[in-house]
Amino acid sequence: MEKLIETRDLYTDFNTFEGVVKALNGVSVVVNEGETYGLVGESGCGKSVNVRSMMRIVQAPGRIVSGKVVIFFRAEDRSRGIDIVERSEAYMTSLRGDSISMIFQEASTSLNPVLSIGYQIGESFHFHRLTQMLQETIADLDGELSRPTWILPRGWKRLQKSLLARELRVLTHYKDRIDRIDHELYGLEDKSDGAAADRRHLLNRRRDRLQKESTVAEIFKRVPLVRSYQRRVERTVRRHVVELLRSLGVPNPERIAASYPHELSGGMQQRIVIAIALACHPVLLIADEPTSNLDVTIQAQIIDLIKQLKKTAISSVLFITHDLGLVAEVCDRTSVMYAGDISETATVKELFRNPLHPYSQGLLRSVPKVEQTGELATIPGGVPNLIAPPSGCRFHPRCPHRMAVCSERKPNLLEHSAGHWVACHLYSEGTR
Amino acid sequence: MGNEIAPVREASPSRHPGWQELAFSLRRLFKNPLTIIGLTIILFFVFLAVAAPWIAPPPRPHDPYLMPHSGWDMTPSPPSVKNPLGTLPSQYDILYGVIWGTRNAFRIGLAIVLANLLVGLVLGAVAGYFGGLVDEIIMRVADIFYAIPLLVIAMALVIALGRGLQSVVLALIILQWPTYTRVIRSEILVLRNMDYILAARASGSSHLRILFRHVLPNSMFSAIIVASMNVGVTILIVAALSFLGLGSDTGYADWGAMVATCRNFIVGPPGNRLAYWYLVFIPGFTIALFVLGWNLLGDAVRDVFDPRMRRR
Amino acid sequence: MSLLNYIIRRLLFMVLVMFGVSILVFGVLMLIPPGMRVAAYVTNEKVPPTAIDAMIVKYGLRDPAPIQYFRWIGKIFRGDLGYSTTANGPVVEGFAQFFPVTLELVLYATPAIILVGLWLGTMAAMKRDKPADHAIRVFAIIGYSLPTFWLGLLLLMVFYGFLGIFPPGVLSEKLLDVVTGKGWIRATGMLTVDAIINWRWDIFLDALYHLALPVINLVILESALIMRLTRSSMLDALGQDYIRTALAKGASQSTIYRIHARRNALLPVITVAGILFAGLMAGAVITETIFVRKGIGWWTARAALQLDVSAIMFNVLFLGVIFVVVNLIVDLIYAAIDPRIRLA
Repeated sequence: MEKLIETRDLYTDFNTFEGVVKALNGVSVVVNEGETYGLVGESGCGKSVNVRSMMRIVQAPGRIVSGKVVIFFRAEDRSRGIDIVERSEAYMTSLRGDSISMIFQEASTSLNPVLSIGYQIGESFHFHRLTQMLQETIADLDGELSRPTWILPRGWKRLQKSLLARELRVLTHYKDRIDRIDHELYGLEDKSDGAAADRRHLLNRRRDRLQKESTVAEIFKRVPLVRSYQRRVERTVRRHVVELLRSLGVPNPERIAASYPHELSGGMQQRIVIAIALACHPVLLIADEPTSNLDVTIQAQIIDLIKQLKKTAISSVLFITHDLGLVAEVCDRTSVMYAGDISETATVKELFRNPLHPYSQGLLRSVPKVEQTGELATIPGGVPNLIAPPSGCRFHPRCPHRMAVCSERKPNLLEHSAGHWVACHLYSEGTR
Repeated sequence: MGNEIAPVREASPSRHPGWQELAFSLRRLFKNPLTIIGLTIILFFVFLAVAAPWIAPPPRPHDPYLMPHSGWDMTPSPPSVKNPLGTLPSQYDILYGVIWGTRNAFRIGLAIVLANLLVGLVLGAVAGYFGGLVDEIIMRVADIFYAIPLLVIAMALVIALGRGLQSVVLALIILQWPTYTRVIRSEILVLRNMDYILAARASGSSHLRILFRHVLPNSMFSAIIVASMNVGVTILIVAALSFLGLGSDTGYADWGAMVATCRNFIVGPPGNRLAYWYLVFIPGFTIALFVLGWNLLGDAVRDVFDPRMRRR
Repeated sequence: MSLLNYIIRRLLFMVLVMFGVSILVFGVLMLIPPGMRVAAYVTNEKVPPTAIDAMIVKYGLRDPAPIQYFRWIGKIFRGDLGYSTTANGPVVEGFAQFFPVTLELVLYATPAIILVGLWLGTMAAMKRDKPADHAIRVFAIIGYSLPTFWLGLLLLMVFYGFLGIFPPGVLSEKLLDVVTGKGWIRATGMLTVDAIINWRWDIFLDALYHLALPVINLVILESALIMRLTRSSMLDALGQDYIRTALAKGASQSTIYRIHARRNALLPVITVAGILFAGLMAGAVITETIFVRKGIGWWTARAALQLDVSAIMFNVLFLGVIFVVVNLIVDLIYAAIDPRIRLA
């Protein structure tokens, strides 16, 4: 299996009033192509911060302190990858929603109440597929022009077509320049000397400027006269939106596209959120507890939908949840997180069969089983304060197998058996 | 090792959380430079007001608010040793006016705000706590008072009551009760449904007791915040009324009235167009500074207690 | 359907409030001794002191309050609003003469205030906690701490007194003759509009010239309110989950501010805009007095000093009605714009 995206030793801090919250303590995760990857853990363990760091949308006052986030799907050399921590914000905006998409927990608040559904889904096409939309509109116009029409509409259509073609040329021109910069940046990836860093910085700035300019071209669309031919492009976009909705099993997609978020049910809203995320066929879909607030029946529908989409539209899914049952049902591989650390990573089968880390063992034990009698097992103690976390292994205060070294050194994530990684001093002596 | 937990250091519960919060609030308050400025300004004015009898001895002890004047010349005199801030038309000393005007402003401002607080507390408590028809009536009447712009109806009321400072004070008390009532009422509406109130009812406390012991102390807070923010507005309206000639009589230490005297002296003689700058600038500046101090303080207090801003 | 419901309910409510406003105004009226109240009942001439007692009896000014109230309301509905000593004519005529001047000022000032406030507020929200934000907020606090009359006088002193530009009044001396003379079509009473109708661009420009300083004055004082509201409203919107979604789908910062946040943030501003409009009408009292523009504010101030009862009462009533009506209109606009209400 080929790697899709990887984080290496990611550290993310939050600079709050009460102190620095060390939310991510050197997190390393690998998601491969075509797999559904689960990220499990209790509330506050850093699962959301982890994926937000991957997409670089960590909310202030948080920031990525060190580490790498490497993507492999846009790289020319699939084995080397691109580190996106160092890339410019403009690069990230082109990445988000296009190659990597994210859906969140509460669908009703995730949608903007004053914008129509069609508009919000259409935005995805607008941001990332503008060239294609323009080409299709021009093709439409060509089709219309090839049929006999009156002189006035004919002239108007030809005007629209030439304006659109001009816009397409401008956009393509910008894209070419941006691509060339990206190529050069890629060449500079591994070099860490001063000159390279300066050049990278310069190129990033230039890229940002170009990207902004290519949308300044969009700003001309706000001039009144120009708007009328823009409407044709909107029509094309709307067509795609309706088709997308239909493919997701949404009944009456035209009407839904014209309506507003508050008019829809919770399950439908979540479907819309998924539609927005999938509009541009992302390579990776990150789902941050997408079903935690839904009824069980709706939950099942959404899970089925995601499973189905994974076969058709997306390559990989990164699924965040605190529900082990969901992990068992949906995911291929999974990581268990605790207090900003990855404690264990394995295939789902392997994890359930043979949990190595005491925390994973505790988690699995505490899930009530049908044949169980007597008290439920719990993990004693509580989630630690991340401003002043425990030294060494962050789990050691609650660990029944605690040793002296556990409070001194943080255990590394090491491969215990094939594909089964664990960060625990119990296994770092001897077994390799 | 079993199921033991390693010893973890716990936060000492010795300080009552209420006091901790208060200390936290005060610390946040004083971190804001605007608070310091506002507080300094207000303290400065307090000093002026309190020390007035000594730093600006009144020429007529039984009527200290009457400004001294040395002569009857209608043209204002520029600042000099005798009149450090200059004089108004008819030679009233501006410095004296500013100092005693401060005292006046505090008198009026505090009178109005305190009276309003009282009325607001009573009416707001009644409306919020008992609800129902009483609440509806009180709120509708408040709406009606809100519908008319304050300055204009204050003018009408002052005319009706007869011009003078007492009428101004009375008029503003009468007209501003809705603001305070609304705030207290909404606080009480929230508090009324809180569990500890229900618990008190369940254990048999009478309405009055609940009102006094539980509800009012908690809503006082918002009331004080609103009051501190409202002092500025109140003083501005009082000054405006005085400016229009509806407040004090001529010759009295009233900032608004002092500003009004400059209307004929905006432009000086040719060659020295800004001749009467002190007249136009100083009394008005005093008002602005005073109101600014209160607004800064009120803003800072509100920011600190706004739940969204607290933890940034 | 429920939009219609909403409209009807609001209309009924408005009628009720206006009723209440009239009672309140009447209450204030009753505090005035009957001798002075007589003027409100006489339409065409001033009342000589000797006739006052006879008038009091004739108009029943010592009758019980409720009876007087209904009589008073009746007169108002019949359009009989009394005689104004300060206007030297019936109140209605005075109104027709003075109102357009105020309306003109308010019509120019309101958009200016809103635009400046929106611009500063958005900027403060976008550059939160940076120097620009602090500077704007300080400007705002100073703005609404300043006494209305003081700033105007200062501006006059500096611009008109010292620099010689932006004189007070509505029009220059020589042009005033044109406007009050024959041949002048007085369509609206607003100088800028009438100037265009009469095709006198010199008058138009001159009127604008005289409007500049009062508008600047009002902008400095009032934009603070809009600015603060816009800022907090934008910050509110920016903290919402849908911004997170927009970010995750690759929206640029400018798109997020311009479209996603701002549209939500503008809604509360609309409500305030209405209050602003009505408030400016009322606040005209001070502004017009200072800049010597003869509108209803100026009229009210003189009426107060000269105890012109009918004028004062009329103006108070008028402003109350304006306020209520504007609030209603604003509420309706809000309901029409916000999809959550429109389609509920």
